[in-house]
This record gives sequence, C-alpha cells and structure tokens, in this order.
Amino acid sequence: MTNYIIAAYDLKKYFPVGGFLFSSKQTVKAVDGVNIKIKENEVLGLVGETGCGKTTLGKLLIRLIEPTSGEILFNVPEEIIHEYEQALENKDYKKTGKISKQYSLLNKKGSELRKLRRYMNIVFQDPYSSLNPRMLVKDIIAEPMLSTGYASKKEAEDIVFKLLEEVGLTPEFAFRYPHELSGGQRQRVALARGISTLPKFLVLDEPTSALDVSVQAQILNLINEIKRKYSISLLFISHNISVVHYMSDRIAIMYAGRVVEEGDKNSVIFDAKHPYSKALISAIPKPEPLREKIFVNLQGEIPNLINPPKGCRFHPRCPVAFELCGWTADEVLSDLEYIIMQRYAEYFKGIKSISIEDDFTLNILCENSNPFDKRLLEIIEKEKNELKSLVSIKSIKQESQNIRVELYRYIEPSMYKVNGSVYVRCLLYKNNDEKQR
Amino acid sequence: METVLNIKELKVWFYTRRGIFRALNGVNLILRKGEVLGIAGESGSGKSTLGLSIMALLPYNAVIIKGGSIYIKSKNTLETFDLFDESQLRRKFSMRKNRRIMNKISNSLSKLRGKLVSMVFQEPMTSLNPLLQVGYQIAETIVAHNSSYLAKRILSRIKVTNSDLKEVLNLVTSSNNVEDELKRYAKNKGLEGIESQILYILGRKDLSRTRKERAILTLKEKKKNFLTMNYLKRVAENRSLGIYSILDRLPFVKRFFSRILLKEGYRRAVELLSLLNIPHAEKVVYMYPHELSGGMRQRVAIAIAISNNPDIIILDEPTSALDVIVQNQILQLISELKSKFNLSFIFISHDLSVLAEVCDRIAIMYGGRIVEVAPIDKIFYEPLHPYTKGLIKAIPKITKESMTLESIPGTVPDMRNPPSGCMFHPRCPYAMEICRKQIPKSIEYNKDHFVECFLYGEQ
Amino acid sequence: MSKELGLIGRRNYLLKRNPRLDELKISFKIFFSNPTAVAGLVITLLYFIDTFLVQFFPWAIGIHDPNQYIINPYNPVPTPPSPQHPLGTTYGGIDLLDAILKSIRVDVEYTLLIVLSGALIGLVLGLVSGFFGGIMDEILMRITDIFFSIPYLVLAIAIIFVLGRSLDIVALSLIIVWWPLYARYARGQTLSIKQMTFIEAAKAAGTRDFWIMFRHIIPNVLPPIFVQISLDLGVVVGVFSTLTFIGFSPTANIPELGYLTSLGLNFVSIAPWAVIIPGLVITIFALAVNLMGDGLRDVIDPRRRSV
Repeated sequence: MTNYIIAAYDLKKYFPVGGFLFSSKQTVKAVDGVNIKIKENEVLGLVGETGCGKTTLGKLLIRLIEPTSGEILFNVPEEIIHEYEQALENKDYKKTGKISKQYSLLNKKGSELRKLRRYMNIVFQDPYSSLNPRMLVKDIIAEPMLSTGYASKKEAEDIVFKLLEEVGLTPEFAFRYPHELSGGQRQRVALARGISTLPKFLVLDEPTSALDVSVQAQILNLINEIKRKYSISLLFISHNISVVHYMSDRIAIMYAGRVVEEGDKNSVIFDAKHPYSKALISAIPKPEPLREKIFVNLQGEIPNLINPPKGCRFHPRCPVAFELCGWTADEVLSDLEYIIMQRYAEYFKGIKSISIEDDFTLNILCENSNPFDKRLLEIIEKEKNELKSLVSIKSIKQESQNIRVELYRYIEPSMYKVNGSVYVRCLLYKNNDEKQR
Repeated sequence: METVLNIKELKVWFYTRRGIFRALNGVNLILRKGEVLGIAGESGSGKSTLGLSIMALLPYNAVIIKGGSIYIKSKNTLETFDLFDESQLRRKFSMRKNRRIMNKISNSLSKLRGKLVSMVFQEPMTSLNPLLQVGYQIAETIVAHNSSYLAKRILSRIKVTNSDLKEVLNLVTSSNNVEDELKRYAKNKGLEGIESQILYILGRKDLSRTRKERAILTLKEKKKNFLTMNYLKRVAENRSLGIYSILDRLPFVKRFFSRILLKEGYRRAVELLSLLNIPHAEKVVYMYPHELSGGMRQRVAIAIAISNNPDIIILDEPTSALDVIVQNQILQLISELKSKFNLSFIFISHDLSVLAEVCDRIAIMYGGRIVEVAPIDKIFYEPLHPYTKGLIKAIPKITKESMTLESIPGTVPDMRNPPSGCMFHPRCPYAMEICRKQIPKSIEYNKDHFVECFLYGEQ
Repeated sequence: MSKELGLIGRRNYLLKRNPRLDELKISFKIFFSNPTAVAGLVITLLYFIDTFLVQFFPWAIGIHDPNQYIINPYNPVPTPPSPQHPLGTTYGGIDLLDAILKSIRVDVEYTLLIVLSGALIGLVLGLVSGFFGGIMDEILMRITDIFFSIPYLVLAIAIIFVLGRSLDIVALSLIIVWWPLYARYARGQTLSIKQMTFIEAAKAAGTRDFWIMFRHIIPNVLPPIFVQISLDLGVVVGVFSTLTFIGFSPTANIPELGYLTSLGLNFVSIAPWAVIIPGLVITIFALAVNLMGDGLRDVIDPRRRSV
C-alpha cells in the first residue's frame, strides 16, 4: 500500500479583480474545481498554455497561496483516500471532516504548518529573481533548514556543502553571490535549496524554461537522479510537453483553470482523448523534419477567466462541440446576427431585431409575417459546421411577427474514467464512464 | 538558385567594461531566394548579433572588424566604411570614432531597411508602438518605402470603368488561375494595383457571393481634384514632387496630402492582416497593440515586415514568447508565405524542434562561427559536427520507449576569453591536438552540407 | 580533502577570498572610476572634517568660540578679502573665514539630523505599510498624504509661532515635512521587492514574516534609501538655510550659513562677497553631495555592476 503524498479535492482559487475595496464581485477564476492526487515516488507532469492556472495550482498544493475553497490532504495512506472519496460520494461530511482533521494541510497553523513545510518545497522558473541578490549562496540554501527547524545553524552549514556536491557545484560556490553565477548554476542552487530539508514533495515550476538546451539536459538528468536517490514526489509544471513527457510518470493537461485530461504519460500523449489535448499535442514541434504533419487547427484564443464560457470551457473552440457542451444565448446571438444582418441579409429583409430572453431563449422580431423560420432553418443546417453555436438550437417557432428560438440546456462535464487510469473531462466520454460504473 | 544574402568573414566584437566580447568571429553564410534558413545556437553563440548586424542595428559599443562583408543582393553594405583592423583595436581604438562609423552604417542602411531587409523581434509587445494603432504602424511603413504602390492603387480605382469591372467579374467566374489572369488583365489595361484589391474581396469569407460582386463593382471611385491627381501621378511614377515637396511641409496642407496615402495604407493593411488569417481585419486595424493577444501582435509585426515585399526577412525568436498552439499557427503561416510569395526568411531560434518544423536549411552557430550548415533532413538525420550531434541528443523527444537525455559536458564558452583554436574543443569528445591550435575552415563534406571540423578532412 | 577538514578549516581553506570584501572592492572600483563622484566625495568629506573638528577640537584650527560669531566693534564695515581676512569680512566686522568654518558645522549637523530622522521615521512607516498592506497600509498612506500636502514654509511659521524661534524648531518642522517622502519611497521599494520570486521562495521554506522582513526585504530596500539620503542632504541644506535666511533663526548670534548670508544682504551692492561667498559654500555642498549620490547610485544598481 503506497501513500498519496498530495490529494486535492475541488480546489478553487478565485482572485478578486478591480473594484473599490472588493465591492465588485468580479473574480478571476484561475483554478476552478481541480482534483489531483500524487503518489509517493511519482512524478506528475502538468501542462497547459499561459493562463491555464498551472502555476497557481502548483502554489496551492504547497499552500504558498490560500485556496478559495477545496481540500488538500497530505501524506495519506491509500485506504484512507478510498474512505475519503467514498464518503465524499455519499455526502458523509462527518467522515470527511474526521479525515480532514488529521490529514488536511489547510487546518494547520503557525509552527505546526512550519514543521510541515520541511516536507514540501518549490523550485521556481526564473533563476534570476528566485535568489536574494544580497544573500550568499550558503545562506540561501540553508534558509529552509533553519526556518523549519530541520537543523541547527552548525548542522545546516555542513549539509550545505554536501548539497552543493549533490547538485554538481564545487564548495567555493557556497561563498558566492547569485549575480556571480550563470543561469544553470543558479538553478542548481535553487534545486539544492529545494531539497535541503529532504522533502517528500517538490513542485518544479518551469525549472528549465530559461536555460539553454544543453544546460537543460544536465538539469533534467540531475533532477531525475535526485528524485531517485531521495524518493521525492514531483509536480513538474511546464508548457514544453516534450520535457514533461520525458520527466513524468503521469500527465495532467489543464485548460482555463480545469484539468481536462489526466492519465499515464503514454496514453495522454499518444492516445489523447480530449479535443483540446489532441490539438495541443498535434501542435508540438518535433525534431523530425519532413515527417507527415497533421495539425488540428484551433480558432479563437484562451478564454477570459473572469467570465469563462459556461459548461465545458473549451466548447467555443472545439471542432467537435455538440449541443450539450455549454452554448448559451449570447454566443448564439452573435452568430444569428451575423447570418441575418450580414451574410444572408437579402433573405431576411424585414427582421427588426434579435433579443435575448434568457440563457436559453432568443426572440427575433419581424416587421411582417413572412415565413422566415423555414429559411432560417435551412441556412442554419448549412452553416452549422462553420458557426458552431448553431448546433445548440433546439427549435425555431414563428408566431406571426415573433420567432422564438430555443436552445438545448448544457451539461457540466466532470472527469469521466475512460480506461484504466485515464480521465477525460469531455461529454463525448460520458457514456464510457457510465458503462464502467 | 539566386542568392539574396552573402556574408563573408563577418567579425563583430563588443567593447564592455569587463573586456572585449567577441560575439561574431568569422561568419560565412548564404541565404537563397525563397528559402527559410534557420540559425540555431545557444546563448553566447552570437545568433542575435548576426541578425542585428545584417540590419545594421548594432549598439555603439559594437565594433565591426575590417575584412568582413555583408552582400545584400550583390551590394556590400559594409563597403565604403573605414573599419577598424584587428590589430588596431589595442592602440588606435576610440569609442567616439566607432560611434561615428556605426552611425554612418546605420544611416546608409536606413533607406533599405523595410524595403530590402526587415526584422521581426521576439517580444511583440515591445516591438510595436503601444501608442499607435496597428493599422497606422503598417500603413506608415508602406508610405515610407513604397508610396508609389499606394498611389497606383488609388489611381487604378479612379481609372477603372464600370465595363472594365464587369469584364473582371466574368473573368473571375470563368477562369481557373484567377491570380495570373487578373494580373495580366490589369497590366494590359494599365490598371496596376487593382488586382490585389479584387483578390482581397474575393478572399473574404464573411460576404456572400452577391455581396462580393457588389463590392467589386463599387470599387470605382470618382476623380479627385486636379491638385490631388497631379500629386498622385507624381508619386506613382516616382517623379520628383516639385511643388508638392513644399506643400507637403505646410502645416494644414500637409495633413491633406499625407492623409490620402495613409488611408490607402490602412486599406492595404487590412488586406495584409487578412492574408495572415486575422479575423475581422477591418476592425483590427483601428486597434492598439495592448488590445490584441500575443499571437495577433506577432502577426501584426510580421505584416509590417512583409508589407514592402523585402528580399530578406529576419525573424529573431518570433515564437519563443508564444504558446504551443499559436506558435504552430505562426510557423504554418511562415511556410505559407514562403511558398506563396517566394519570400526568403532567416529564422533565429534556440529551439531546434521549432526550426525542424519550418526551415529548409539550418546553420548551427557556436562561439560566433557557423560550425555546420546543411539541408534540414541532413542536420537531424546525418549530423556531422560533434556539437550538432550533442545538441540533437539533448533535445527531449516524445517516444514510447524510455530514453535518456544526453547532455554536452561543460558550458558555453565565455566570449570574453574564448578558447584557442576550435571553440568547441574543450567540450568535444573527439578533440585532437590540432583542434587546440587552429580554427577549422569550412569544407563541403557532402552536397550542400558544410562543416567546420578537423574530423572531416585535411585543412 | 574538504571532507577531512572540520568546518572551520574548510572555511579557511576556501576563504582565500572573503566574498563581502570582494563585493566592497568592486563597489570601490565602480565608484572611483567616476571622476565627478570622487570630486563630490572629496568635497563632502572636507565639510564633514570641518564639522568634526569644530565640534570636538575647535582650537586645532584656531577657533575659539564655536557657538558665536566674533564681532569686531572697531571696524564694523565689511571689508574685501585681504591678508588678515582671507575671505573678507561682513556686517559687524565678522571675519568670513572664521564664520564660515563655524557655520558649516552647524548646518551639516542640523542637515544630518533632519535627513536621518526623517528617513528613519519614513523608512519604518513605509516598510510596515508596504509589507503588511491592507487597512494599515491605507490609513498610513492617507496620513502620509496629509503630511505631504503641508507646505514647509507655512508649517515652519506655525510651529515657530507656537514653540518659539530656534534652530531646533526649524529642524523639527522640516523633519515633519520630510518623512512622508521616505515613507512613500520605502513603501514603493518594499512593494516591488515583495513581488520578487525569492520572497515566495522564503515563504515556501517556512520563513516567518518577521524574518522575511529583516533578512530579505530590508537589505534590499536600504541601498536605494541610502542613495536617496545622500541626495537629500543637498536639498535639505538648501531649504534649511533658506528658512534661516528669511529670518527664522533666533535673534541670538548663532553661526549658520543662511543667517550669515542674510547678514550681508544689506551691503550687497558695496560688499557683494559678503553674500556670494556664504551662498557659494551652501551651493558647493549641495552640488558635492549630489554628485556623490549619483556615484553611489551607479554602485548600487545591480545592472551596472554585473556587465
């Protein structure tokens, strides 16, 4: 029975935005309901594009920032995790409360929390600002040991030299300032600092993104060696999927604050299920020139996290989105307007305006009672492939001078188990999951 | 194949407080027409300096050493300048003199910049002016370098008759090769400049068939006043502006004249942006850089770079600041532009995988020299230079079987104190005696495959 | 080999160099490569030396009564520079050289008092405000704003009216006006350092807030504050002597440069040196301190160092 080093449930982090003294209720939903588990000695890779929330998630898991809601359990035996998850499903909050009391990371305070910090740490992306320019290397590396009470000042000094050796630096480096070191050397110091208290869990946030290719290879191999030697679980965050694949056992892909696919690395990379994963992976540059290239082309951009799309966050850009994916009246409105007032305007002379009644209903006002609805249905059939939101139209009924457009109601996708260890957050796989249960 | 760029023995050294930084140490490079040449290298290899040298955008403490030359279309941009000799650097060097030389070189190339060579930088947010609309920035560069083209477009719209346009419509519906036919038609009728406008309308996806036809028919414009017509004709034929050069400077009047060309520049900007797959280009031209996403900004920067059909376009890490999916779109865009318009690109990057996606040939830089240059498949599947081999083994590749990344021992050399002989010898697993003493010369080991290494032949 | 030596031995073996000393050496090198900064330093040092000597060993430079001017009742008319009076004399027959040497000490001491007190108060408030943020930050900043909006002249008049005329009161009113500048500056620096990744790293390491403030923030905030202090010395000496010049000094005969300048004012047409020379002394100090501050700024700026 192995332990789970970290188990997070329905983790959310909303950042308040603007407003005078928080009177405005707008928030950036950076992480919006993430479940994640990492076993002992396991490396979980976290990939995604800018703004998907991966860095925020990494910081949440070691409680560097406080979550808005959700639970994080630390160092839990497998049986207890099963109990906890069962209790969650059965809504047995008494039981979950009991387990939380013992294992939760979030209810620890002050010196208790500080003692726990010796078991987790983080290595940052930018080697140039993650080291205090006015501190000597030896003090930088010793800091976690002293702050968590892991070692006394004298013991710490000794350990510093051993750590320098471990990361491939000679002892003189202990007495240098960060600005005297190169990027690769600084990252080694950051790594030494990260493992100084022999943590069980280390978050690596883009540790090699600022480094040259040859230095990156050295650092990655070093990380692997250290992980093996000291049995550390890693959360490896990067936007470089090739690197993540090299380093991880399991991979999770994030989009707009949610995990959309998670599984063992080869399944996720070579047999991606989620449409976003497919697009992302097809776009990875590979050092194989002149190969046959099949790209999935995506329109649009990463969504605004203050008002993210409803339902599946990816639906506005998804090439295979269908009617239940999350369409709402405002998305359909712009496409209807485009058809009626622009592209096919000549067929719809006499339509005054289109308005939204609620999230799933629109009303089109006409000046006369011409049978626009038939025409509209025809055109919608034609344009469905290009203007995706139209697939969500359930019915078009014309009553004299008013056409009522009704949409299907969307379903919020959760993580569906596809096989063995792969989970996908996509309605296309909902049935698979139901079969499995 | 035609050569558009030929660099010979280029040496550029920087004077810094802590010594002389030898960025480029004898670069030899050729760029052919219609190809994408990749330049790969790590930090300190000199790749960015190379791009800046071609554009003559080096800072004042950069010293171009005598003996090097940069031929852009058989004209040496460094020809007439009294550059410093290597031996002069110790005694006769004066920063003030160097400043003057760099200034002169920069000025002499400034007319060519944008027209002959243009550059796209890594950070689109800082390479675009945040205070100007993106359409203005594109229009401005066309007006500056190619105003006659804009004038021709306006004149063609004035000159064309309704019957001409109807003929065009027939041509468009009936022919197979619309582009060439249109070009020929326009030339015959003396209506140069109208083809791209018609093609743009045809390519629009947001208009129905009938609307497109209507748009083409409404291309005709009324004749403008006498002064303006005269001005336009002079600009179109590149004749001297005569009285207009004075009028052009008077406070109110000048707005009137520069406005016409600028407005036309905006129209052309819309065409360019939709060519680069920016949706709603007519609205985007009035936006400011901060209103656009990273990928869009980079497309704007590319639009500015290609707007005058330059012979050489230099891209310095254009996709390093972008996400994977957007990066892929930009790379595809570059391939499209290359094949459609036969443009020549220099693509500088530290990421070999990115270069693999888009380049025809790759040059590997190390220690300020090009150590290997070859067609793309040869570089990856049959690398010759030990550094190239090491680099390729150090790239993480996605494979089902487990693999280990091999790193190159040591670090990149400090270019203030470079090693003797071959720059790579301290880290090279195959280093021999001679590698320490001499710098290897470039030899063509296989067809079109050049390498600088003593392993491959007598020197 | 390093494994066999004990810790001290290892440190001695490796410490053929002392990193802090090396840093200091580089700082000196950068500073001394700047000729104007060196000139500023030399002149400022001269002033400080004068202050020190007049304060503790006035007889060493021939000053017998450091707290008063010597009035010459026999020849009260200002005379131009001459062998007996190298800088001439001013109103009351006061020898300018003697007077200036005495006045420099008073001015420098008061200026240092004002700037250092203001900096200390402002630094503490700014640090606390920036580090803890929240309501405390808001309140402290509003208070700072209020003090910022007070014109120093009006405040000086008001305080002097209430508390009486003396140089100490003038200094007090300037301290009150000066600390908001440092509060704002220190807060800005604190905020920008708080954003840096190494602060996050310290938090992840479990370091307590208190330690983060002392170990990480203060050492990075102090250097720019020092630069600001040295630049401010010049400004404050100007303001201080302006106030005394227009008459805020006590009627007693206390040596001070502004007051000295005002003494010569009545005779400016016939004895211009009586006004120009003391004025110049103030100006030169302000200039020197400014040049020195600029040089210091070059030393502190990490970008200039690592090129």
